[in-house]
Amino acid sequence: MRGGGYFKTTYAADLALVDTRLRRRALAALVFLLLVLPRVASPFILDLVAQTALAAVGALALNVLTGLAGQISLGHAGFIAAGAFTTGLLVENGLRSPLIALPAAAVVGAALGIVVGIPALRLKGLYLALGTLALHHVVLYACAEFQNHWGANTGVSVPPPALGPWVLKGVVAWYYALTLAAALTLALSVNLRRSRAGRAWMAIRDREIAAESVGIDVARYKVLAFVWSSAITAVAGALFAYHRAFVSVEAFGFFLAVEYIAMIIIGGLGSALGAVLGAAFVTLLPHVLDAMVAGLRLAGGAAYYLFPLKFGAFGLLMAVFLLFEPQGLVGIWRRVRNWFALWPLRYRPLRSAS
Amino acid sequence: MTQVLATTVVVASLYALLAAGYVLVYRATRVLNLAQGDMMTLGGYFLFLVATAAPGEPARAIAGAAALSALAGFLIYRLLMRPMAGHPIFAAVLVTVTLGILLRAAIVLVYTDRIRHPLGLLGLANPARPLIGGAVVSTFDLFTVGAAAALFAALFLFLRFSPLGIQMRAAGEKPLLASQRGINFHLVFALSWALAGFAGALAGILYANNVRLDPSLGVLGLKAFAVALVGGLDSLGGVVPGALIVALVEVLSVRYGDPLLADVSPFLCLLAMLLVRPWGLYGTKEELERV
Amino acid sequence: MTSFFELTPSLELENLEVVYHHVATAIQGVSLRVMPGSIVTLLGTNGAGKTTTLRAISGFLGADNAQIVGGRVLFLGQPVTGRRPHELVRRGLVLVPERDKVFETLTVQENLRALVPGWRAWRGADRPRIRLDQVFEYFPLLADRRRQLAGYLSGGERQMLALATALLCRPAVLLVDELSLGLAPAVIERLMILVARLRDELGLAVLLVEQNAGAALAVADYGYVMEHGRIVYDGPRDRLLAHADVREFYLGVGHRAGRKSYTDVKQYRRRRRWF
Repeated sequence: MRGGGYFKTTYAADLALVDTRLRRRALAALVFLLLVLPRVASPFILDLVAQTALAAVGALALNVLTGLAGQISLGHAGFIAAGAFTTGLLVENGLRSPLIALPAAAVVGAALGIVVGIPALRLKGLYLALGTLALHHVVLYACAEFQNHWGANTGVSVPPPALGPWVLKGVVAWYYALTLAAALTLALSVNLRRSRAGRAWMAIRDREIAAESVGIDVARYKVLAFVWSSAITAVAGALFAYHRAFVSVEAFGFFLAVEYIAMIIIGGLGSALGAVLGAAFVTLLPHVLDAMVAGLRLAGGAAYYLFPLKFGAFGLLMAVFLLFEPQGLVGIWRRVRNWFALWPLRYRPLRSAS
Repeated sequence: MTQVLATTVVVASLYALLAAGYVLVYRATRVLNLAQGDMMTLGGYFLFLVATAAPGEPARAIAGAAALSALAGFLIYRLLMRPMAGHPIFAAVLVTVTLGILLRAAIVLVYTDRIRHPLGLLGLANPARPLIGGAVVSTFDLFTVGAAAALFAALFLFLRFSPLGIQMRAAGEKPLLASQRGINFHLVFALSWALAGFAGALAGILYANNVRLDPSLGVLGLKAFAVALVGGLDSLGGVVPGALIVALVEVLSVRYGDPLLADVSPFLCLLAMLLVRPWGLYGTKEELERV
Repeated sequence: MTSFFELTPSLELENLEVVYHHVATAIQGVSLRVMPGSIVTLLGTNGAGKTTTLRAISGFLGADNAQIVGGRVLFLGQPVTGRRPHELVRRGLVLVPERDKVFETLTVQENLRALVPGWRAWRGADRPRIRLDQVFEYFPLLADRRRQLAGYLSGGERQMLALATALLCRPAVLLVDELSLGLAPAVIERLMILVARLRDELGLAVLLVEQNAGAALAVADYGYVMEHGRIVYDGPRDRLLAHADVREFYLGVGHRAGRKSYTDVKQYRRRRRWF
């Protein structure tokens, strides 16, 4: 929502992603901030931003499927695992270039998206979520078998990606690479939302029968949503493998899928900004809790309780968002913005139906 | 061969106890409780709690643990699930996921993640029993089968003949109409959660005595939802064949495949069922459209 | 014997106002009373606010994000505004809903058991004690079908089952939403006669909310006409039957040909609102 008095006069203005001067300046400031951050911030902070960026890629991809197309997936970790293990498999076979691994991961992801998407046409809502959850376990099983046959039993190690003489190594390099990846994914997902497919997805999400009756090929667009989402997710998985320099099944449990769902829920379902905010929230939360516990300077035994506490705090926050703030962080952001935009002529907003 | 059959029946009984919880909650509130496995763990730890407080009294400990679990189920509905009324069902399902996380974290906080064996605390033994045909099962295996049979018989009688059971089915079908008939459907739903907690606790108590107790038992719950789906999410009767099929496939894949395959086999059953007959063996087709 | 006006009404609405989504006024200043042992009908077309009125009485507004912003509901002389639905039923204010009126996955017999008739303290003398065999006397058809799933019943049979279960809730006041909806005229007539029998034999007070004015006025003692969320006319049955507007717009027996709806001829003064 935008304040009154702002109207667009040209089609180009309507198409522009960044439309007002304020927004252009804000975006420029953000880009500038991200560029100079390595000069001022500690490697630890940079690593956190990089991790957030990596998580944001996955969250944006899930948001395409769940937020835009309304297809609920609990198998997101499976797609990430597929991308990571594709990379692992290629590396084991001597194909180390990311120019091969990343597209290969995307292709594997897309193929997996078709494999999941077509049967998923029969399923809705809860059943779809359970189907994808089951599929997640099957993908993990395949990865575990691969791990047992090829790598050591513990996992496959992946060397840093190299393009000719350039080797992506070190915190700063990874910071730039992952932030760039996240920015590209963000641009892609914002554009997908504005595309024909994006509009079709939202129509299907809101009312499938109505979408069908205005001529949207529901089956095709549903599968397409799966393909896009899983292809991007698999690329995120490949980046994950390179970043961690190690691939192991244990990293892709059900909890990872829950984390990604939590990101888009806490961020705000259906919003790209929300996916990024949610990714930051979920990634940074454990570190914030760490810092808080460190600040408390507890006795040695307390460290033991840290893990379950973090785990529990994560669950609690997710529950709090689900119960009290279904619109997520983006909802809070919008309310704050509207409050300022409308001040001092604020009127209690109408509560919407349902 | 008889050993395979015996093991299948035992595993199926455990799954059936858990799956009964899924179906009860689903039939009443249309929510799939993904924390059912962790409620089972909770039941096991309640047993441990009661047993440490009063060691050597198995009957009282088991009754106490089951009662505490039922109470926990009731409170979970009251505090977490009831505020979700009117929200999308998937959000409610996610709340159950977070419930599972919270339960697991709480258990680790209180009891650490060490493996426990409440059997000794209760002063019980679990000797092996040879059956006809050369199969061997443990005593608690037999108890598991007995408990599952008893629970299903009791649930059948309760839902078919008792006024409260009929009200529970009615409220599950149309909560609004139920409240127009004087039924407090929130209370009835809370009762179905309590029953699910009870069924899960039975599974947890038996498993804790039979095998072990640790905070990650909840994984079994994920396998049991495959059972509930294969049988049909809205069919309590479907749980029995569903459990037998899933257990048989799992036992066979342990025997002829590898343990990794066995772990994933319930999900393969689930996927196969979703492809062929998404509403499950005994479920109703309309259920697919409702969610 | 006390006079008509000194009796406590079984159900009384005082200036009830309901607002949807905090902004849209659905009913304004609706007042009506239902006397013990009488059938009162609330007539009106689609969207007149009849169902909203019923929902306000029976405590169902919350589900639609609506709320009572003014006035009150008195049941047997006691205010019950905003009570929860199941509580009202246990006190004896029972609704037969417009649709979704039977549990389709339960048998007829189970439908007749899926209810809570309320606590002893609330079962006063003015609530008839109705037993299952009495219900089968009123609805002999249900006795034959008691083992059948309610989902397989026809529309008329469903309506009978809904009335029967409502009776078993031991109502002091029966609210009936669109008894005639989707039923054949012959069936409607039989059902209306049944409702009249319930009044005469059990002393029930009934609020019949109807679009089918002819069928409702055949049995009602008193009627209210609702348009645009307001009561625009009320009176005893004979006066309503004689009223020109009611005859034209609700009974379809008027003389002025070509005019189908009251909205074509009636204009209400709109209150100007500046804010």
